[in-house]
Amino acid sequence: MSTTLERPALETPRKVSPAKDSRTLIRSQVRAGWVLLAPALLHSGVFIVIPVVAVLVLSLTDYSFGDTWAWVGFGNYADLFRDVDFQASLWHTVLYAIVVIPISMAISLAVAIGLNQKIRGLGFFRTAFYIPTVTATVAVATIWLWIYNPGSGLANGFLSLFGFAPNRWLADPATALPSLMVVGIWQGLGTKVIIYLAALQGVSRDLLESAQLDGANRWQRFVNVTWPAIGPVQFFVLITSIVGTFQVFDLVYVMTQGGPGSETRVLVMDIYQNAFQDLKLGYASAETVIMMVVIALFILVGRLLQKADVND
Amino acid sequence: MTSVSVAGPAMASSRPPSARIGKIVLYVVLAVGAILMITPFVWMVLTAFKSNAEIAKFGWLPGELRWRNYVEAMQTAPFLRYFRNSLFIAVGETAFTLAVCTTAGYALAKLPLRGSKALLNYFIVLLLVPFQIILVPLFLIVKSIPLFGGNNILGQGGIGWLNSWWGLIIPLGAAPLFTFLARQFYVSVPNELAQAARVDGLGEFGIFWRIMTPLVKPALITIAVFQIEAAWNGFLWPLMITTSDSMRPLQLGLAIFSQNPAEIQWPYLMAGTALATLPMIVLFVFAQKRFVEGMANVGIKG
Repeated sequence: MSTTLERPALETPRKVSPAKDSRTLIRSQVRAGWVLLAPALLHSGVFIVIPVVAVLVLSLTDYSFGDTWAWVGFGNYADLFRDVDFQASLWHTVLYAIVVIPISMAISLAVAIGLNQKIRGLGFFRTAFYIPTVTATVAVATIWLWIYNPGSGLANGFLSLFGFAPNRWLADPATALPSLMVVGIWQGLGTKVIIYLAALQGVSRDLLESAQLDGANRWQRFVNVTWPAIGPVQFFVLITSIVGTFQVFDLVYVMTQGGPGSETRVLVMDIYQNAFQDLKLGYASAETVIMMVVIALFILVGRLLQKADVND
Repeated sequence: MTSVSVAGPAMASSRPPSARIGKIVLYVVLAVGAILMITPFVWMVLTAFKSNAEIAKFGWLPGELRWRNYVEAMQTAPFLRYFRNSLFIAVGETAFTLAVCTTAGYALAKLPLRGSKALLNYFIVLLLVPFQIILVPLFLIVKSIPLFGGNNILGQGGIGWLNSWWGLIIPLGAAPLFTFLARQFYVSVPNELAQAARVDGLGEFGIFWRIMTPLVKPALITIAVFQIEAAWNGFLWPLMITTSDSMRPLQLGLAIFSQNPAEIQWPYLMAGTALATLPMIVLFVFAQKRFVEGMANVGIKG
């Protein structure tokens, strides 16, 4: 890489006057910049910005793939508040997020702190914790479907080791959603561990050492030095976790199809069914807008929590 | 990674016995964690070797290694075709993403554009928009891409990019996350290099392609690994836009295979899942170090 550095490039002065030269140089840079940026702007405009705007507009219509459609104002929203499937989905998704996000963040941080000690086999542990993340959710779900198999699955085999009665896991309304949460937490650890680990390695050694010299114990050093230092990363992890948990779909689609009954029905699944099975695109769009608002609320609460934390 | 050691030895010399116990506890806890992470995969591979009689009750080891389960699984469903489709999507999407996101990232990081700060914020906001939010309109847009799939110039009359490689590859490629990530890497390359090349008479595109981009190889690897994983593991989008079996990727094939609870043949399904999972695990093991550095860059500077 250093070969490019050593080229004697600066030794060929140009004959043009420097002022004019630099102006044309800047202009060509600006032109090149817009050319290079154009594909990304076009792509994000067509496939992200327009859809976001469109979802707001569609939510006020009764569009359903047909040729005719009409404005229905906030009719879709009014219908949604009477839709039991939607209410169940919203509740399950929120519950899933509230349980999965803090637990997986806490476990990941603890594992990252463990890996941040002087230990052997860092590469092995890192890979072990990351494997579930690189594996397709469909594959993960398939494996866990088998683990939760009431007849001969690993989960009941494990319970029987301790003499517990077998459970029906995904087939039992009481344990179906918690069973999914376990898989969600398990699968999401990898990314968070790696991001936390990177953040922990960026915490100032000097600060930690001088805190130690001042007689601060491990816990005090963690609370007063490490915790504030990883604040921005906490926020990044929080946001990506919120967005990630609200997206849960593949897992549910493969493992329970939303059942038993609608005990594990989640928002994206409800949206998917309304849009692509019942062809109620306007209705599904209204549902999406509500999901957007809930995600925004979660992010807002996360921000407030973090602010409160910093002010302590 | 080497700087981690500072706190460790100092503590070990002041309180040797408790520190050693602490270390043992640490290893035990991490090992248990690692086992919990890996066990399902071991279970998957073992199950794939079992006979239908063996899976009827709980047990770990198969009586014999039935390699033919893999072969038969490949024959019961067109897994080879699914495999090829996934590969095609992953390669296409990665090439597209690399082209679009490195150019944009470079322009944002290094070229004097008016409002480049605002443009950067634009991409950061976009990276928070979950794909599921735009599901419905994205489908409609892809359906009405002009002059494709029987559509006229206004995007009416046909199916556009639905059920096509275009539709599978382009809309989900070039995520704002990767533009942001590429930008983070280009920012840390010194400007002097570009200046020198400029004085040397190299054009702006030459500087981007021949001087700056070779210096951000870790970014390219990170983006490639991320994108390959995402494309390989994609499920919802292919589920929505493919109608013919000939275009379905692996994950969809697996899901369809597992949809019929009465007739699921677990050994076959596990064999298929193992084959679908293996390439990504191998990829991660090889790209691990670079990949982790890349993640660190997104997380910290984000």
